[in-house]
Amino acid sequence: MFGQGLLKGLEITWGRLFGKKHTVNYPYKRIEMFPRFHGRFQLDVDKCIACGLCVNACPNKVIEMEREKVGKKQFLTKYVMRIEYCLFCGLCVESCNRDALRFTNVIDMNQYRRKWVRLTLVDRPAPEAEETPEEAPAKAAKAEAAAGKAPDKEG
Amino acid sequence: MGENIFVDFTAWLRGLISGLGVPDLFNDIILMIVKLAAIIVFIALNATWLVYMERKICAYIQSRVGPRHHGPVGLLQPVFDVVKLMTKEIVLPKNVDLVVFLLAPVLIVVPPIVAYSVLPFGKDMVAIDMNIGLFFLVAVTSLSTIMFWMAGWASNNKYSLVGGMRVVAQMVSYELPLVLAMLGVVMITGTLNLSEVVNAQKNVWFIFAQPIAFLIYFIAGVAETNRPPFDLVEGESEIIAGPYTEYAGMGFAMFYGLAEFANMMVISAMCTVMFLGGWLAPFGLTFIPSWVWFFLKMYLVIFIFMWVRWTFPRIRVDQLMGFGWKVLVPLSLANIFITGTGMYIYRAIGW
Repeated sequence: MFGQGLLKGLEITWGRLFGKKHTVNYPYKRIEMFPRFHGRFQLDVDKCIACGLCVNACPNKVIEMEREKVGKKQFLTKYVMRIEYCLFCGLCVESCNRDALRFTNVIDMNQYRRKWVRLTLVDRPAPEAEETPEEAPAKAAKAEAAAGKAPDKEG
Repeated sequence: MGENIFVDFTAWLRGLISGLGVPDLFNDIILMIVKLAAIIVFIALNATWLVYMERKICAYIQSRVGPRHHGPVGLLQPVFDVVKLMTKEIVLPKNVDLVVFLLAPVLIVVPPIVAYSVLPFGKDMVAIDMNIGLFFLVAVTSLSTIMFWMAGWASNNKYSLVGGMRVVAQMVSYELPLVLAMLGVVMITGTLNLSEVVNAQKNVWFIFAQPIAFLIYFIAGVAETNRPPFDLVEGESEIIAGPYTEYAGMGFAMFYGLAEFANMMVISAMCTVMFLGGWLAPFGLTFIPSWVWFFLKMYLVIFIFMWVRWTFPRIRVDQLMGFGWKVLVPLSLANIFITGTGMYIYRAIGW
């Protein structure tokens, strides 16, 4: 019959008219993103050894890392991601040997000002070097050397 | 109940004015102004509502929910739209034909407003009961073509020009089947007075007596209002916005919001009057006022317009002209021939 296709189209849109609506009331209600979604980064500070592999892996030089040597270990004092340059490729996450850096499925990182976009994951002062028993004499000796014996050495 | 609200109000106003000692001539003029003001308010309110309705139906057909934030269920959305459009600058591009450019969006709303003066909204509710009402209405609504062409030409823009050309081609071509479809009804009723056309449908609505004419009228009506699937005039993907391209702010709103919806209302109201029995109540439900029935039928037709709009894709220009001249016009001529033959046979057998 001529016009059958037209009627079929009308029938489909009629069904849609009363069908289920897929819109989510966004700012008030959100769809849970998939677990593997490349969203906001999460850093497990306790696992991180501040090796800097993620910094090297990043193609855009997004990650800024500051570390201090505390005792024998590297101590992570600052870990800032300039998210405005991030392309969420995931190379940093892949490069992490300790599984410290991870993606979460949180999507809202938008800010009102550009400078607020920067994602600061860690910002803490380095602890004072613990006076471990073996370390204390060495340090004392070092200080001594620095204070008293320096002129000698120089001379 | 409520049947005679508007008629009684008019009579009361007439009595009040003549009671103040105003001569009959001025009395008529004042009443005419009141009626026209009422029509303008009616069109403006309905256009705002139709903007909302269009967006909602569009959204629902596309499995969305549409405007929702402003007011209860987004009812204030058109108000926000209007305020936004009013506060926008009216951009005047370089080298436009200024007078014509600014006149076009003003004049575009005139034909629908004038057309409404002869439409019967309900029993005895017609601003001017003209004995050539149908003829007048068709003549006036076809004037819109000139305004679109004015806008297209004055904009000094190739897209506007192409759009204007398309408007003229399309509206002139589809005016013909529109009028020829209505001719079948006129042949049966033998009158051009719209109130009498409605009264002639007491026994059977003309949609049942003239189904082909109704279909032709509906298709040509969609094309006349430049709505999809016949929106070649705008054709966003081809010629940006056609004649409206250079208009901003309220100029655009006059074309897009007010004129389009006012035209659509005129076409739907005419459809109601000619084929759906106008203000006559179906199934003897006369306790509902006649003007409510008119509204319900008009909005039913408008809904079908919107439903069709959001279902079908746009057709090509050659298809449009071919369909108009090779299908609709011969079909409407055949319909007139069949109607005439039928009438002759019925008369011959004295039915």
